[in-house]
Amino acid sequence: MIDRRLQPSLRFSGNGPGALAGPGPGDGPGAAGQPGAPEAGTRGRLLARGEAVTLDLEGDPVPAFRGETVAVALFASGARALSRSLKYHRPRSFFCLAGHCGACLMRIDGRPNVKACQTPCSDGLRVASQNAWPSAEHDAFGVVDWLFPRGMDHHHMFTGSRAMNAVLRKVTRQMSGLGRLPDPRPGNVRPETPPLRRLAGASAPDVLVVGAGPAGLAAATAAARAGARVLGIDDGAVPGGSLLADPGHGLAAAASSVREARAAGAEVRAASPMIGYFPEDGGGLAAIRTPDALWLVQPRTTIYATGGYDQNALFEDNDRPGVISGRAAGRLLVRFGVRPARRAVVAGDAPYAAALAAELAAAGITVTRTPRVQRAHGRAWVSAATLADGSRVTCDLIAVCETPAPASEPARQHGCAVTLQPARGGFCIDTDAAGLTSLPGVFACGDVTGYQGPDAAALDGARVGAAAAAAASAARAREAATP
Amino acid sequence: MAPRDPPPPTPTATPGPAEQPALPARAETVVIGGGVIGLAIAWNLARLGKSDIVILERSYLAAGASGRNGGGIRQQWSTELNIRLMQESVALVKRFTADLGINVWLRQGGYLFLARTDTERGFLEQNAALQQRCGVGTRVLTPAEANEIVPELDVSGFAAAAYNPSDGILFPWPFLWGYADGAVKLGARLHCFTDVTAIDRPPANDAAGDFTVHTSRGAIRAHRVINAAGAWSPEIARLVGVELPDRPVRHEILSTEPLKPFLRPMVSVLGTGLYFSQSMRGEIVGGVSIHGDRHTLAMGSRLKFLTTMARALCELVPQFGEVQVLRQWAGPYDVTVDGNPILGEPPGLPRFYLCCGFMGHGFMMAPVIGKYYGEWLAGGKPHEIFDKWTLARFASGQLAKETFIIG
Amino acid sequence: MSGKVIVCRCEDVTLHDVEHTLARGYRDIEEVKRYTGFGTGPCQGKECLRVVACLLAERTGVAPSAIAPFTTRPPIASVPLRLLAGPGAEDLTSARDDDATDEDHGMAG
Repeated sequence: MIDRRLQPSLRFSGNGPGALAGPGPGDGPGAAGQPGAPEAGTRGRLLARGEAVTLDLEGDPVPAFRGETVAVALFASGARALSRSLKYHRPRSFFCLAGHCGACLMRIDGRPNVKACQTPCSDGLRVASQNAWPSAEHDAFGVVDWLFPRGMDHHHMFTGSRAMNAVLRKVTRQMSGLGRLPDPRPGNVRPETPPLRRLAGASAPDVLVVGAGPAGLAAATAAARAGARVLGIDDGAVPGGSLLADPGHGLAAAASSVREARAAGAEVRAASPMIGYFPEDGGGLAAIRTPDALWLVQPRTTIYATGGYDQNALFEDNDRPGVISGRAAGRLLVRFGVRPARRAVVAGDAPYAAALAAELAAAGITVTRTPRVQRAHGRAWVSAATLADGSRVTCDLIAVCETPAPASEPARQHGCAVTLQPARGGFCIDTDAAGLTSLPGVFACGDVTGYQGPDAAALDGARVGAAAAAAASAARAREAATP
Repeated sequence: MAPRDPPPPTPTATPGPAEQPALPARAETVVIGGGVIGLAIAWNLARLGKSDIVILERSYLAAGASGRNGGGIRQQWSTELNIRLMQESVALVKRFTADLGINVWLRQGGYLFLARTDTERGFLEQNAALQQRCGVGTRVLTPAEANEIVPELDVSGFAAAAYNPSDGILFPWPFLWGYADGAVKLGARLHCFTDVTAIDRPPANDAAGDFTVHTSRGAIRAHRVINAAGAWSPEIARLVGVELPDRPVRHEILSTEPLKPFLRPMVSVLGTGLYFSQSMRGEIVGGVSIHGDRHTLAMGSRLKFLTTMARALCELVPQFGEVQVLRQWAGPYDVTVDGNPILGEPPGLPRFYLCCGFMGHGFMMAPVIGKYYGEWLAGGKPHEIFDKWTLARFASGQLAKETFIIG
Repeated sequence: MSGKVIVCRCEDVTLHDVEHTLARGYRDIEEVKRYTGFGTGPCQGKECLRVVACLLAERTGVAPSAIAPFTTRPPIASVPLRLLAGPGAEDLTSARDDDATDEDHGMAG
């Protein structure tokens, strides 16, 4: 069960003349939400809301709009703690709003552990909390959190007594896991197993661009303009990546970059993360999960433009709901048109922090800036923060502005060399001047090579996209010369 | 449960690559391989007073098959020797936490084997009868009875099942830490990130002379050497000119998202090598055979495994269709032609001890094998396994076939 | 909430847990991962790998450039089993040779 505080909607009214259509499926202009001129602070970047729908939140109707994701619709309707955590039953809500962190897992449509921040709203969609009783806000098992105030070494717990150890194992087993097994299909019939789709040989792309943020879209455009057959994929429900979190860009910039890439001839697919590169299968295949099938692709060259993952800072109770990434606050504002807070603390000094703070203030939010937070206070949602100087401020949001960590997992799994560079965000992909990684035919650009921000990432992408297209063209020529 | 701080740090865990102490010049026993087999032997030897031991591990603890397996432990086997050994191993695992002070999360939820054909049913019936004679509570079940144990199974097309409720699963990694800490506390020395590069036999003119083991971090002399390098044991044996018949076979495994507890036993399907269980953390963990694989030490992950495993799981448990895979990995089985391990000294090379060829079941056998190996090397009477599971049997053809192998 | 500093949200691993693991002598990132469980939950390390790697560098004095990430395992994004179970995978791994091991396997597979 999920508690909600009834309050006026946090959505900006603003489906008026300044509103913009989203660039992807589900974001098209639909029925008006609350017609009227855009409010101050939205600067015309507000999403045109789709048709009104109703979520089924454990039997309660929750108003939502197509184009919103479940986590956003629940937040805008006053829901706070969405579920409880695995071990200590600490309250959980979204953190990154980008599908990377695993903080917003809920039971959706009878399936466990689904990312609420990536699930599009649809009429009658069943949504429920997990791992909480009686409710996500008041969970009796939260007592475990107090029993182990700093953490636990489960390897050496209760090893002294056989009887206690047997009890420990029994209790641990009963409390284990997160979501329940998926609901059975009626009659327990076998699941639908769509055929695997293949893009290899004649249908293979010259350039596979993984990630459709500023770097990936610029790379796709440049490669397509150079004559390459380009497939761009992105894990987000809407392409645009960090553009969708950045007040200086937003949906408008994302939509125009996507249009530009498509106009140049590139195919751009959203909601399609790469799940791995498998060198031993079918001559080397990239596997891509789309909503309804698995695609196996054998590109001539690959560009990793996967951007960065939002990172939390280390402070007491840093996982409290209401502590969200700065870029998640940006996504609420510029992609979803939802006011993230009344009083926000913007913590950290990442390059994007100042612009975010200004945008929040322009939206009428009281903003306190601090280099770092010492502690978050509150229960199921943050109510105050202890700042770096020891002072305590009342707030209903802590926006953590850390340097994003390069999302180098796909490239690392492929085999590209990386180097830990703390100042640039984490494990950065090693590249040469042309963006070539340690592997032939595999390139990388943008924040995944070290944080640089959307404008620099786009420049990098354009350069590397052209280089990858040239490499693909050379590969094509070699294929033609080989009988 | 009461709040309590974890125990104070001990100095016994493995230092990282940068801060390894120098190797000693000599040890009575050098164990090559810091997997569960080598560590179990080392702890047992140390326990019996022979603690002048150096264990050489090429990587971190749990880097090899010991850290990559599904954590199953069962007493359903096809030979009396293996059944009795595994009964004893289960008893030792039940004592492990008391003996070594670390949780291994043993959960005796049983092993449920499913058979499709009448031949396979006959196999289960014959083995169940043997297991019952040894005191194992295996029952042969109808598919409907199997469904009572795991209601989520689609048992259509199955002929029978075998179930022994006292088989179970455990969490592999703490075994290594427990044995390693236990051995080190008794005086053994563990050197991780130390690669064996060459081994000199004892000098020809000195029958009691030492081996010299050369490593990436210097040489060490040893009265006896134990080759417990698992799938890498043929490479180690070759360093002293011994050719071993065991071969590495890649086996892959996956883990799903954590689910609330629902699955009691380890489930396995005869003929496909499919097995899966629910870990103490709630994940479904399991693997399946990929037929046609050649011998390899490669440990890359393949799409072929992912798709084969997914199809097998979706067919057997329709509700698994929407369960999400979180990760996959691979580990090497160390395979022999008769399904039994290779123990003892090779002909003509005394004090070089083999302990390898465990067919992917070394983890569950380590407690009992380590005990008998330790007792023998500490001066006790050798158990019959050291007469039966020799290297010489492969040349003489006196094989002892074990057919209850998963994967 | 009890004032924990959470490093890995998926598995509820705290800063204290990581420090305790380092104090026990586990210094390799693969060992810290196995001892604490960090990086093994639904996000597979996307939120915690950087912070633990940097902590390792800071607390052990090892240069950041000498610290490798733990092995990245597919799938990088979670996949429902049914999307992997469809037809079309039959030809994926074609490697066979005379040394094939089918005959090595016992009755159980």
